[in-house]
Amino acid sequence: MNAFNGMWAVAAKELLHLKRDPATLVIALLIPVIQLTIFGFAIDFDVRHISTVIVDLDRSTESRSYVDSLRTTDYLQIKRYLTSPEEAEDAMRRGDARVAVIIPPDFGRRAALTSGATPSAAAHGPAQVRVLIDGSDNQVAIRARMAFLRPAVDPTLPEARINMLYNPDMKTTTFMIPGLIGVILQLVTVALTSFSLVREREQGTLEQLMVSPIGRLGLMVGKVIPYALIGLVEVVSVLIMGRIVFDVHVAGSVALLILLSIPFIIAALSLGLLISTVAQNQAQALQLTLLITMPSILMSGFMFPLDTMPGPLYMVSMAIPVTYFMQILRGVVVRGAGFYDLWPSVLALIVISTILLTVSTMRFRKTLA
Amino acid sequence: MNAIQINGLTRRFGSFTAVDNLSFNVAKGSIFGFLGPNGSGKSTCIRMLCGLLAPTSGTATVNGYDIVRESEQVKMSIGYMSQAFSLYRDLSVDENLTFFGRVYGLKGDALKKAKEEIVGLVGIGAYMDRRSGELSGGWKQRLALAAALIHGPELVFLDEPTAGIDPVARRDLWDLLFELAGKGKTLFVTTHYMDEAERCSEIGYIYNSKLMVRGTPDELKALPDVSPAGTKRISIGTHTPAASLAALRHQPFTLDATLVESEIHLMTQNETLDEDVLRTMADAGAPGHDPRPIAPSLEDVFVTLTRRLAKQ
Repeated sequence: MNAFNGMWAVAAKELLHLKRDPATLVIALLIPVIQLTIFGFAIDFDVRHISTVIVDLDRSTESRSYVDSLRTTDYLQIKRYLTSPEEAEDAMRRGDARVAVIIPPDFGRRAALTSGATPSAAAHGPAQVRVLIDGSDNQVAIRARMAFLRPAVDPTLPEARINMLYNPDMKTTTFMIPGLIGVILQLVTVALTSFSLVREREQGTLEQLMVSPIGRLGLMVGKVIPYALIGLVEVVSVLIMGRIVFDVHVAGSVALLILLSIPFIIAALSLGLLISTVAQNQAQALQLTLLITMPSILMSGFMFPLDTMPGPLYMVSMAIPVTYFMQILRGVVVRGAGFYDLWPSVLALIVISTILLTVSTMRFRKTLA
Repeated sequence: MNAIQINGLTRRFGSFTAVDNLSFNVAKGSIFGFLGPNGSGKSTCIRMLCGLLAPTSGTATVNGYDIVRESEQVKMSIGYMSQAFSLYRDLSVDENLTFFGRVYGLKGDALKKAKEEIVGLVGIGAYMDRRSGELSGGWKQRLALAAALIHGPELVFLDEPTAGIDPVARRDLWDLLFELAGKGKTLFVTTHYMDEAERCSEIGYIYNSKLMVRGTPDELKALPDVSPAGTKRISIGTHTPAASLAALRHQPFTLDATLVESEIHLMTQNETLDEDVLRTMADAGAPGHDPRPIAPSLEDVFVTLTRRLAKQ
């Protein structure tokens, strides 16, 4: 008679429940794929085609070629040409334009002098344009500024030859999609198990189990096993979606990523079990699931880097399973990391799973009394 | 040999004592009827005997195992059937039996044999592939009984097994219980039905957390508290039962009056004359006929005992 008694019987029974209720199974498998697609398109910091108006007071060859060069950056989309700076300001205030480029009348002359390499060019100063940027949305503003950046030329500074690793195009999707996979998987897996024990309580079947010699761990782990399989299928399906829809390739080993998903899935399912031992009915289980998963989206490093998080919040984020899975996902998908790069996160997930399973098992005994 | 031995069993929840110093034995092979009003402590007692709840004080053994120290052995050796259907509604009869068999450690041929045996006993063979949620109330209870028996326990607890099922299914279930008792199994049954209590080989009556009386149905009916010296019970036939009962209820000679089928059961003083009773009824326009002395029924036993205790 041991604590794992009845584990396989419970696992087989849970699979039968899933088979009897194909709608739930299909929803559980489809939700991550659908959410990934929707959120993946919505969360895109690569702002492009910012609406722009041009006030060209010079109307020279030089000013026209400058406008063409702005157009080719892809950051800006030139909507209209206006005749005065005042009109441009009005357009900004109305929200018709986020950026206004005002080219002064002497632009062509100064540009010609600068490129003409005459000694007097420096005395006149380089050609200048006035740029108005709507700063109310800082994501848009930061992107818009990039259209006007040019390398600073200061001969006293050493030349920094920057080599952008892993994500050379600086694409947000490369970084965000792996994180999104973690967040979505957590929501689905926690919800899966948080309902399972509560349902047994509501239907009275828990009473029948409690008079049997079933082991508490047998019941808990038996319930986790089939849902862990679903979780793995979900990992694979969102990775495929990420590749097809967002062109996110796994830089490292896909097999390793799937293997390292297992400790996370078990941790998340155990969190669901813990909720199950607290909630008295399915409505409570749902609310608790949301209560726990929503903040962890913000605190797992998915949106904001952990490095900038204030101390107490950082401590909390260290207790959230998805924080570590985020590091595993980004490590393998973006940086091509191997097991030896990621083992601290794996260890943390195993510790968290053990604690959660132990606490839920102990709490479960209390609910018997 | 006793299947259950209870010695001073007590359970408190805070300041409330749910089970108070209970002591009794249940003989092996008997059908023990555990009776008492709702909230009297029956369920708490069963939960302790099943090893679900630790007693505050006192001891008990079930099938020779201590309910605290050997609760796992207790669980292995008992079956339990609750009043609410507590099997998986979305699983078939076969799947439910397989699951519970496996939980009790049965597998392979042993599981197959145990299922065949129990299916033959309760006669549920025709419904093996039916989802249990789609069964009628009576078949649901038979399935629940089958699941409780799948591992061959010597002792089965049945908590109001016939609540809410039709009379035919009730009779069938009791026939099954008799068959089980005939095979030497001990049955510990709670019920509110008096005809079911009559069928038990022994009855324990719990009231306000205490065991009040215990014995065979005949022993209980002969209790002095139920038929105090100087009283008698008579049955009077009537064609107007409701009016007759109303007429008799508040007479000075009436100690207790109730209606059983179309007869009034009246408890009264020994010296009360049948003619006086009949005259009272006739005067009220609800004539009675053929008065005859009767022994108390089990219902009389429990009603009398409960009223006496409630007054104290």
